[in-house]
Amino acid sequence: MTTFLETNRRSLTRAAYAVLAILVLLWLGPLILEQRPARLIGSTITGLLVGGIYSLIALGIVVINKASGVFNFAHGWMMLLGGLLFYSFFASGSVSPLAAGVLAALTVIMVITTAGWGALRSPRSLALGAVAIVVLTVLLSLSGAEWQFIRAIAGAVAGSVLVGLVVERFTIRPLIGQPLFAMVLMTLAISRALNGITQLIWGSVEIPLQVFSWVGNLGLPMPIRFDARDTLGGIILIRTELLFAFALALVAFVAFVLFFQFTNVGLAMRAAAEDQRLAQSVGLRVRIILAVAWAIAALLATAAGVLQGGATSLSLNMPLLALLAFPAVLLGGLESITGALVGGIVIGLVQEWANLLFPGTQAGTELAPYVVLMAVLVIRPDGLFGQKRIERV
Amino acid sequence: MSANIRPSGVFDVSYAQDISLNRTRTDKIIANGLFVLLLLVPLLTVEGPLGLNLLPQTWIGLMIRIAIFVIAVQGLNILVGYTGQISLGHAAFVAVGGYTGAVLARQLGFSFWAALPAAALFTGVVGLVFGLPSLRVKGFYLAMATLAAQFIIPWLLRYPLTPWTNGSRPLEVPPPTLGPLSFASENAMFYIVVPLSVFLMLAARNMIRTRFGRALISIRDNDLAAEQLGINVFSYKLQAFFISALYAGIAGALLAFHDNSLSLDKFSLGLSIEFLAMLVIGGAGFPLGPLFGVSFVILLTQDIIPNRLLPLFGSVLPTLLPFIDPVNITSSLSPLLFGLILVIFLILAPRGLAYRWEIFKIAWKIRPYSH
Repeated sequence: MTTFLETNRRSLTRAAYAVLAILVLLWLGPLILEQRPARLIGSTITGLLVGGIYSLIALGIVVINKASGVFNFAHGWMMLLGGLLFYSFFASGSVSPLAAGVLAALTVIMVITTAGWGALRSPRSLALGAVAIVVLTVLLSLSGAEWQFIRAIAGAVAGSVLVGLVVERFTIRPLIGQPLFAMVLMTLAISRALNGITQLIWGSVEIPLQVFSWVGNLGLPMPIRFDARDTLGGIILIRTELLFAFALALVAFVAFVLFFQFTNVGLAMRAAAEDQRLAQSVGLRVRIILAVAWAIAALLATAAGVLQGGATSLSLNMPLLALLAFPAVLLGGLESITGALVGGIVIGLVQEWANLLFPGTQAGTELAPYVVLMAVLVIRPDGLFGQKRIERV
Repeated sequence: MSANIRPSGVFDVSYAQDISLNRTRTDKIIANGLFVLLLLVPLLTVEGPLGLNLLPQTWIGLMIRIAIFVIAVQGLNILVGYTGQISLGHAAFVAVGGYTGAVLARQLGFSFWAALPAAALFTGVVGLVFGLPSLRVKGFYLAMATLAAQFIIPWLLRYPLTPWTNGSRPLEVPPPTLGPLSFASENAMFYIVVPLSVFLMLAARNMIRTRFGRALISIRDNDLAAEQLGINVFSYKLQAFFISALYAGIAGALLAFHDNSLSLDKFSLGLSIEFLAMLVIGGAGFPLGPLFGVSFVILLTQDIIPNRLLPLFGSVLPTLLPFIDPVNITSSLSPLLFGLILVIFLILAPRGLAYRWEIFKIAWKIRPYSH
C-alpha cells in the first residue's frame, strides 16, 4: 500500500486536485447559472478593470522583492500617502511656499545623498541641488486651477521619492544581512509609522479624488451603459472612472516594463536582482540600485493610489485593499512581472465574481483572494510564472 | 541567542542543580517572594478587602491585561522565537479562543472552568489546521499562509457563524463563577489570571528545556541539520503550531471573560503585528521576553502615550507644524510612536530587552570587574 502511494504520488495528487476542482464546480456551477448573463458579464468587466489596478500594486511589490528580497507590507500605506499628497496639491488653489520648499528641499537632499552623505561636501552637487530645490519649489507653488495637474504630479512624485528613499536608507539598509523575520517586521513597523503620519496630517479621511472630472468634458457618458435587456436580461454598467483608471494603470505598467527592459538603470536593476554580488563585481553600484528600486516602488504605489482614489475614494481602507495584491503576487510568482499582471487581473476577477455569487458577505474583498492564496501555497507555491527556487520543505 | 547566559566561572556542580528552575537557594527565595508580593498587590487598592488606597485601581486592570497578553505572546514565542516560523495570524487564533469560550458559556452553559480548557484545545486544533501548509512551504511563504488565516478566520466568525458570534456586533460574556464566588470584579479576576499566567510562563520555560524544546530550537537554527539528527521536522512544527494556538486560545478566553464582551474589530491584523512587536521588543527566544515586551508595549500604549506624551505633543506639534490639526493627534500618535519605537528596536536592539536584562545580570554578578 505504502509503495503504491509512493510510486504514484504525483498522479494521485493530480487526481485529488481534479476531484476537488469537480466538487468546487458542482458547488459553484448552479450558483453561476442562476445569475443573469448581463450581471455576469458586468462583474467580469469590472473585475478586469479592478484587476488592472491590482496589477500595478503587485508590480510595486515585485520590484522591491526583486531588488532587496523584502516583501513590502507597507505598500498600501505608501499608496494612501501618495494619493493624499496628490490630493493636497491638486485640490487646494495654492500650497504654502513654506511647505512646498520643505518638501522640495528634503527630496533633493535625499536624492543627491543617495550615494553617500559625502555629496553634501562637494560644491558641484550642492549647486545642482540648490537649483533643483528652487525649480521644484516654484513648480510646487504654482497657483491656479490650470496648473493643478502639473503641481499635483510634481508634488506626488517628490513626496513618493522622498518616502521611498527615507524608508530604504533609514530602515531597510541597516537590516541588510538580518534574518527574514526582522525584515518582515520592519515593513510592518513602517506601515504603522506611515499610518500615524497620514492620520496626523490628514486625519481619518474619506476623500473622492476628482482626477477624472475632465472625462465628462469629453462627451463620454458616465457611467457607460449597454442596454441588453432583450438578449442578456439586464443592463451592463461600466464606471467610466474605473475604465480610465484601468487604461492609465496599464500604461504605467507597460512604461515600467519598458523601463526595466531597455534603459541602463532598468538593466542594472535586473542584474542586481539576479545576483547582487555578481552585479557588484562587474561595477554596478548595488547600493544606489536598491535606493532607486525603493523610489520606483514608491512611485508605483503613488500611481496606484491616485488611480484607485480616482476610481473610488481615498480612505483608510486603501491599505487593506493593497493587501489583496499579495495573493496576486504569489499567484503570479514572486519574481515575475508578467505574473504581477496576470495575478492582479485574476484576483480582480475572483473578487468581483465572489461578490456577485455571495452578496452581502464581503466575500470578494475579505475572503476569496485569501482562499486563492491558500490554494496557491498548497498546490503550486512558486506561482504561475515564478522561478522554481522556492524553499520547498 | 542563548537563553541562559552565564558569566565565566559560574557552572552547575550537580545534576539536580542543572535541572532545577532556580539555580541557588537565593534565586528560589527571590522568585517565590516576588510571586507572593505580586499576589498581595490587589490588597493595596481601594476595592481590596482592606480598602488601603495605596495603589490606583487602574493598575490592576493594566496588570491583568499584561498577564493575558503575556500568555498570548508566550505562545507566539514558542512558534516564532523558538521554532522560527513566522506567524502573522496570531490575533485570529486569540479570537478563536475568545469566541469559543464565549459561545460555550452562553449557548451550552459551560462554566468558565470548563470553557477555558475546551476553548484552548479547540484553538489548538484550528492552529494545527492552519499549520498544515508548513508541510509544504517555509519562511516567507508560511508567513503568507498565516496572513490568510488572519483574514479567513474573522470572516468565518463574522458572516457564516453570525448566529453564535453576533457578527460584527459585540457579544456579551458572563463573568466566571465558582460556587457562590463571583469573579466579576477586577481584583477577583486578578487571582485567576495572574497565577495562570505565571504558571504558563513556567510551563513554557520548562518545555524549552526538554527534548521537545531542544528539537524546536534545532529546527529554528537549521532545519536540514535537525532532520539529519533524526528529528521529525514536520511533526515538531505541527506540535509548535498546536501549542502556540493553545496559548492563544487561553489568552482569548481569558480576555473574553475579563472584558465580559467581545468584538471582532479588536482582533485585526493590527493586533497580530502588535503581538509580533511585543515579542521582538521583549526578545524572541528568551523565556522572559514576552513579559518584558508586553509590559513595555502596554505601559507605552495604554499609559505613557495617552497620559504623559499626548498633552505634551498636543501643545507642541500644532505650533511647530501649523498644518497639523490638533484633533488628529489623539488617534495618530499611538501608531506613529509605536512604529518608530519598533523601527528603533529592530535596528539598535534586535535581540530585545530580555537580552539586555541577561547582560545586566551578568554585569551585576561580576562587578566590579568588566569581564
